[in-house]
Amino acid sequence: MKILVPIKQVGVLDEDFEIRDDGRDVDLDYLDFELNEWDDYSWEEALRLQEEFGDAVEIVPLAVGPEEAEEGLRKCLAKGGERGIRVWDDAMQGSDPMAVARVIAKVAEREQADMVFAGALASDHGFAQTGVSVAAQLGWSQVAVVSKLDYQPGDNSVKVNRELEGGLEEVLSVQTPAVLTIQLGINEPRYASLRGIKQAKAKPVEELSHGDLGLSDEDVGEAGSASRVRRMYLPEKGQAELIEGTPAEQAERLVEIINELKGVA
Amino acid sequence: MPRSFTFGLTRSECNEMIEPGHEPQTVTRILFQDFPTWMMVTFYIAAIAAIIAFGYGCYVQLRKYRRGQALSLRNISEGLTCMIGDLLSHRSLKRRDHSAGMIHALIFFGFALLFIGTATITLEYDILEPITGWRFWYGSLYLWFSLIVDIAGLAFVTGLIYMMYRRQWLALPKLDYQRPDREPSEPDFDRSWYRREDWLFLWTLVLIGVTGFLLEADRLVWLQQDATVWNYRWWSPVGAVLAGLLEAIGLTSTVAESLRYGLWWLHGLLAFSFIGVLPFTKAKHIFTAMASLAIRDAKPAARLPEADLEANTIGYRKITDFNWKQLLHVDACTKCGRCHEACPANTSGFPLSPRDVVLTLRELANNSLQYGTLPAVESLQAVGDGINQVRVETLWSCRTCAACVEICPVGIEHVPLIVEMRRALVDEGEMDPAVQTALQNIQKKGNSIGENKRKRAAWSKKLDFEIRDARKEPVELLWFVGDYASFDPRYQKVAQTFARILHTSGIDFGILYEGEMTAGNDVRRVGEEGLFEHVAEKNIETLSGCEFECIVTTDPHSFNTLTNEYPQFGGEFKVEHATQLLNRLLASGKIPLERRLDRKVTYHDSCHLGRLNKEYAAPRDVLAKLGVKITEMPRNRDNAFCCGAGGGRIWTPDPLEMEKPAELRMHEAAEINDIDAFVVNCPKCMNMFEDAVKSTGNDKRLEVIEVIELVAACMDLDKVIPAAQENMEAESV
Repeated sequence: MKILVPIKQVGVLDEDFEIRDDGRDVDLDYLDFELNEWDDYSWEEALRLQEEFGDAVEIVPLAVGPEEAEEGLRKCLAKGGERGIRVWDDAMQGSDPMAVARVIAKVAEREQADMVFAGALASDHGFAQTGVSVAAQLGWSQVAVVSKLDYQPGDNSVKVNRELEGGLEEVLSVQTPAVLTIQLGINEPRYASLRGIKQAKAKPVEELSHGDLGLSDEDVGEAGSASRVRRMYLPEKGQAELIEGTPAEQAERLVEIINELKGVA
Repeated sequence: MPRSFTFGLTRSECNEMIEPGHEPQTVTRILFQDFPTWMMVTFYIAAIAAIIAFGYGCYVQLRKYRRGQALSLRNISEGLTCMIGDLLSHRSLKRRDHSAGMIHALIFFGFALLFIGTATITLEYDILEPITGWRFWYGSLYLWFSLIVDIAGLAFVTGLIYMMYRRQWLALPKLDYQRPDREPSEPDFDRSWYRREDWLFLWTLVLIGVTGFLLEADRLVWLQQDATVWNYRWWSPVGAVLAGLLEAIGLTSTVAESLRYGLWWLHGLLAFSFIGVLPFTKAKHIFTAMASLAIRDAKPAARLPEADLEANTIGYRKITDFNWKQLLHVDACTKCGRCHEACPANTSGFPLSPRDVVLTLRELANNSLQYGTLPAVESLQAVGDGINQVRVETLWSCRTCAACVEICPVGIEHVPLIVEMRRALVDEGEMDPAVQTALQNIQKKGNSIGENKRKRAAWSKKLDFEIRDARKEPVELLWFVGDYASFDPRYQKVAQTFARILHTSGIDFGILYEGEMTAGNDVRRVGEEGLFEHVAEKNIETLSGCEFECIVTTDPHSFNTLTNEYPQFGGEFKVEHATQLLNRLLASGKIPLERRLDRKVTYHDSCHLGRLNKEYAAPRDVLAKLGVKITEMPRNRDNAFCCGAGGGRIWTPDPLEMEKPAELRMHEAAEINDIDAFVVNCPKCMNMFEDAVKSTGNDKRLEVIEVIELVAACMDLDKVIPAAQENMEAESV
């Protein structure tokens, strides 16, 4: 059985950051990149199945993204797995979850994967769409926000739990092949040692373009996307103000504010 | 008679010892007197069998050690010299248990003399006389020999009997083998077989000694008609007294003669059995303790072993991953319990006793490496939940404070054992989530707190002067600030105070600003060797690009790794701890003291400055120069009790229901009456004790304060601080 695990390097905002000149995203200079937290859990879940069942399970991490995304693959490969896949080319710039899902679905077909474990969402844009869109593309069954997983290789179904509102727990049986999107807390992801990350550099990462997957330019990038970011901005700051200074100065400022609000000024 | 055979006595003195009419040659003990041939033959067969068993046992032990990894030793002669000093002075045994040490010295020297005595007789009777016909064991030499060996025997037996008393009636907690890392229901919880072995060992030796004396007395009674025996009886005073007693209860010469064989065989067979099984019992510490002391490392906990990061594996998983030196160390343990008693983790109820780590590894080695072939790899695993395996939670309980290493009388080095096993766990990604977060922070941001690296020097903005950037201009003193001084709100104040002291004293100093990463001391102790090497190399690269004379740091952890471990990666720098620098500056009058402080305090030695680097004096000298009076806690200097934050434990919250090491320490300080402050010299200690002083309800009475802050108070810098501090407090609200 083969499990494909799509991962994403997400941008983490610095305390001070600026919006790109075109106003559609944060300026890259102000972003630190790290592996999406949910993907730590989905990869850990795959690793556990692989460790439990040995050679019967193959796990492959997949990143759809530019060179920076390789760091995330290395972090995964430091913990286990023998090879990774990264798909990217310039035409894929601006892909929304639909377009990315199209790519992942093609890789899943090419790899003849039996399951796809995706993170429930990515912490940067938070669409929570990529995983479920992959299932739609492939015509596979899917369960979103999985909090527990029970699978035996050879079975043609997988038992999963989901947490519902009010503390309810739902148990489902899903036909494989399936796409599962994994929720935080399903396991305790292990640590990737720096030594492991360095050694993982010896593991092969296959680099593909959308053409290699039989996709046309219209399938990826903005052309292949159903949505498009129009604008990203910081809403006006609220009215909260931290009053500094000696107690006397603070009191003075307080009176000033009250008068301002009352329109005395 | 040649002078050398008379212990320096002149012929006339010798003649006074030997009565007129007695030929010196007749004043001796006739070995095997009146023995039938079969007995002699049996004796020699038994003797040879014992020696063969002993030799085989030694071979098995050496083969066991050789199944560990190779390691070449440096400074063997230095180690041997030190070991001989330890043996002769018994200093390592007398520490913190003077009576046990003195009594052990009686047993040790008694045993050694008895052994030399027996060996001397064997040399004459079985080697020199048969070959050359030469005898020397008679006359005055024999008499002196008798006296010395008799006194040695008395010391030996007295010592053993005291040890029995100590075990049975003193019932010391450290001699209780119940384990903190096992539940009472588990089979290896109390290890009663150890107690049986201890008693068997004591009884065997006592009986060998006592039967020896009885045999001596019995011979005197038996041969009382022989003037060459009886007239010299007081040269064996213990035997003579015993003979008198035996006579008084009616023992006659004839009965004595018949009793003699039984006693003789009992004594002989006990001694032979002891020799034969020695390599497989507690008795082997006679050899392994000496060897373990001789191969000690000078700084086992301060300078951890390097590792090959390119290798397939890192750290220790199997017993065969340990090196021969470590297998020999664990074989030297006498279960004296000193480490068990000193360990802060064990004392606060964590599932770790350094003694039990050592004994677990020893049992595993004995069970798996003493046979002709090695068992399957599963039987070699050192870390796990089984019998003779060290548990994961045990490994993570350690604070690498080295209290165990410090006090071990036989030179066992526990800390590297634990860190090596942690390295394997880290490599597999297995650790507390909090430790994982700290390490990931360091991977991403260069500090364990998880703050943005650009904010590393934000604390310095509160100063009314600018600290020089050591990366851009040469400075005399490069201050390596460290994570906690940079980011911990309480210790940031100490950092600001230290900056003011240096500034006011006109010292030319600078910092690395965001160029500094965590020094990595605790990263290494957690077992993340790859990340440690990474930060060490980065820091060395940054430091190498700066021009300075000396590094100073307020953090003993950074101080330790910069001093002892960076040289392993080519970073050779002169490093001083802040208290050392302050002491120097105070001595040379460079620090302008405005007044003396009339305060009574207690001082807590941090492990990394104290035990690991033996700097007990500088902080105390600084306080003395300020006029501060220290009342020591019962456990101080090399016996100081760790705050509990070392070895990466600062990143793991201790369970709420447990009394933390810092709280136990605070209770200890609170026992002292007229003090108003608990003085620390380490940001991690400060962090721990600021909590502990509140949770133990001592915050009204005791102020947790840094040595640096007391210096500032004497400079009246604390008068200047409030404005700046108020600003900070306002911001942190």
